Amino acid sequence: MKKLTIILILVSLFSKGFANEAYEKAMSQSIEKLFQAKSIPEYVEVANQFERISNIEKTEWLPLYYASFAYIMISFQETENVKKDQNLDQAQKYLDQALTIDLNESELYMLQGFLYPSRIAIDPMNRGITLMPEMNKALNKALELNPDNPRVYYLRATMTFHMPEAYGGGAAKALPLYQIAQEKFGVFKPKTALSPNWGKEINETELKNTLELVKQ
Amino acid sequence: MKSVMLFFSLQLLLSGAFAQVQLSGKVTDQKKNALCGANVYFKNSYEGATADSTGKFKFKTNLKGLNVLTVSFIGYITVFQELNLDSLKSKDLNIILQESESQINEVVINAGAFEASDEKKAVILRMFDVATTPSAQGDIFGALGSLPGVQKVGEDGRVFVRGGEGYETKSFIDGMQVNTPFLSKMPDMPTRGRFSPLLFSGTLFSTGAYSAEFGQALSSIVDMKTDGIENEEKSSISIMTVGVMGSTTKCWKRASLSVSGDYVSSALSNLINKQQVDWTKSPSGIDGTVMYRQKTGKTGLYKFFGTMNSNSSGLNYFNTQADINQNILLNSGSFYLNNSWNTMVGEKWMMKSGMVWNYDRQKFNVDPTRIVTTKNMVQCKLDFHRPINEETELKLGGDWVNYTYKQQILMGGDYQLPFTNNELSGFAEVEYKLSKKFATRLGTRFEYSTLLKESTLVPRFSMAYKTGNQSQVSLACGQFYQNPEDDYLKFAPQLSPEKANHAVMTWQYQTDLKTFRVETYLKKYSNLVKYTMPLATNPLDYSNSGSGHAEGIDFFWRDKETFKLTDYWISYSWINSQRDYRDYPEAATPTYVSAHNLSLVYKRFFEKVRTYAAVTYSFASNRPYHDPNLSGFMNAKTPSYNDISLSLTYLMELFGKQSVLHLMVNNLAAFDNVYGYNFSNTPDSSGHYESTPIKSPYVRQVILLVSIML
Repeated sequence: MKKLTIILILVSLFSKGFANEAYEKAMSQSIEKLFQAKSIPEYVEVANQFERISNIEKTEWLPLYYASFAYIMISFQETENVKKDQNLDQAQKYLDQALTIDLNESELYMLQGFLYPSRIAIDPMNRGITLMPEMNKALNKALELNPDNPRVYYLRATMTFHMPEAYGGGAAKALPLYQIAQEKFGVFKPKTALSPNWGKEINETELKNTLELVKQ
Repeated sequence: MKSVMLFFSLQLLLSGAFAQVQLSGKVTDQKKNALCGANVYFKNSYEGATADSTGKFKFKTNLKGLNVLTVSFIGYITVFQELNLDSLKSKDLNIILQESESQINEVVINAGAFEASDEKKAVILRMFDVATTPSAQGDIFGALGSLPGVQKVGEDGRVFVRGGEGYETKSFIDGMQVNTPFLSKMPDMPTRGRFSPLLFSGTLFSTGAYSAEFGQALSSIVDMKTDGIENEEKSSISIMTVGVMGSTTKCWKRASLSVSGDYVSSALSNLINKQQVDWTKSPSGIDGTVMYRQKTGKTGLYKFFGTMNSNSSGLNYFNTQADINQNILLNSGSFYLNNSWNTMVGEKWMMKSGMVWNYDRQKFNVDPTRIVTTKNMVQCKLDFHRPINEETELKLGGDWVNYTYKQQILMGGDYQLPFTNNELSGFAEVEYKLSKKFATRLGTRFEYSTLLKESTLVPRFSMAYKTGNQSQVSLACGQFYQNPEDDYLKFAPQLSPEKANHAVMTWQYQTDLKTFRVETYLKKYSNLVKYTMPLATNPLDYSNSGSGHAEGIDFFWRDKETFKLTDYWISYSWINSQRDYRDYPEAATPTYVSAHNLSLVYKRFFEKVRTYAAVTYSFASNRPYHDPNLSGFMNAKTPSYNDISLSLTYLMELFGKQSVLHLMVNNLAAFDNVYGYNFSNTPDSSGHYESTPIKSPYVRQVILLVSIML
């Protein structure tokens, strides 16, 4: 009987390790797919995969994070406003669910800050007023939880770039922010192999463009 | 034993590989359209697939036994299907998904109502729209003028809805009454609302057939909603050609405090803008507002909203009727304190309680006469809401209003005209959603007045049915009572409440960024106050024998989508209304009713110059008036009304702070609008009654404002 218990424990340990391996494999494959995706169907497909993973890994916020990220990317490509909102609703749903798992994850607040600009773009005159403060709140919270999160700096730089000069925006104001973001990306080490680690390349490209604009 | 175990575990491990099941199929909606992107999977494994552009999917699974196949897609109801995977090699499935009703698609009872809100998705106006509509001149009630069903009555400034007088529109803040929502008014001059639109996050404006929650309003209600807890500390200061304004907000974890104040004087503005009246003292005033919000317990929110103001103005007024020049001085002061506390009681009951104290005092000096009027109102209200089940919601409530009116007239003697009324009311309302497509609301309201010694019990009914994804038809009807105006009650407290019946039918098409709405209505008035002559002092000169009717059709179109960074709306109303009330010898169209009202609002953001521009054009067809030089009653008509107003908002940086430069021009084209005529009471030697036109106090008005966020 003792032996049987030991075997059972061993088996369960073994299968646990097995499951972890499966999770990591499925995640890393999907993350790779996500960052290669170009069209809406490709994003939907990978978001679906993340949703399936999240249904089983109830204590992991990462699958939900990536599913939400995918739907934000879809909203950038969607042309119909109603559908844009629908996609952002979906992204928000995943994000809200992720926040129930971990309330103190900087990346989730960063993602929340990343979601708002897309909402605002649909009806900037009306939504800007209420959502801009919400976005700032989310980004502040993200920085509070991790002052070195490079994506927050990147997002701040991009927002500044697109803001009217009158409101403290424009290329000249954005330039130092892109540079700080680049520094932060340079020293950033993701917590795990699966943790968010995107933004470095786009930050570099935008930094280059901004530099040229400022020189002119 | 060992070997048996090993065998079992091996088999367990390998069984999957041997018995894979191939699943394939198609996901469509009810009309057989492929749903590309649908997620098909088993809940307890990573395995699954995404439907392709033809709706087809295919995947293999290692699962055994009974499993639940899940199919989900954005905007559709998720489907679960149980499958026994044992003894299956492959399975072809046809899955049909049903569209889910999203928030904007769900039926909402809306006949008669225009909602401006920053919180809800499906609204027609937002508070930002109110603040930036040039014809509104920064006034909430002014902004309502760009909606259908509202008459342009330039010499009054209050809200005249569908053949109703100004007093027939009642104002509320967070569901609690506001007795004096407007500033005191000089004769023939427009007034404006006491409250800045910046204080509110939403407004419910109902042009008829409203819920049983609201009473003592014959035509219309305006319910302004204050913000919840603020989550951003901010301060701003504004300098205008008409005064200065400042505000600051402080936040805590579970509370927030906002304080704002202003000093307004039109002295400078009256110099810049040519005046058509002779001011002896330019209108000026100070206002202060305090808002405090505190979360209580898990679900409660306490709100305090307090505002006070003091205003004065002086006018050299030619009284045509009496044929004399009068020097009028007006001083007024008021305060409004609104406490409300909303919280859950138990699991299901939502309790809303509130207490209001509204005091208003105005002093009219028309040498040698002095008229001092004080109005004091206290309201206590208690409401309960609860869902009975998924489809049904119940609302119950009651309120008590204590109102004391006092007028002192010093005119060759000291005359006192006081009265006190206690109004007790209760209401009950049930909203029942038969399906996502069909909803009804049935309510009743009871009111008793201790002054009039009369009670009323009225029914209210409304329903809405979705005719399509974005469209719905609504019907509403009800009975409405309102006590006669103070100016009649002070002489004749034996009067009965005035009565109106409303029936409204609406068809509305709405997407996130476009709205089209047609509404037609019928209104019947009875028990309206009639009197033998204006200002009659004998109670027996007043009776409730008046009556009237109004019918019409309103159109509204708003589009934020078609043109880039552009938002425009068009309102048009047609009305036919007659009344036999006051001292009318026969039924006639009242002076404030114009058959056609049109309003165009166009707003656009010009990115390059960082300027937000808005233009409004308003038109009202001619209004009737009574000319004693002609035969018959209400025998003449004013010219039609035209107005073009413009506002420009320029975003800039001032002292390193975000700032706004705001320019507002009213009546840009300087149309010479005439609202009516005042006639002399006595004819001159040739038997002719002299008249003077009633006009706007200014020809064109330019106001400049700089606002700095600190």
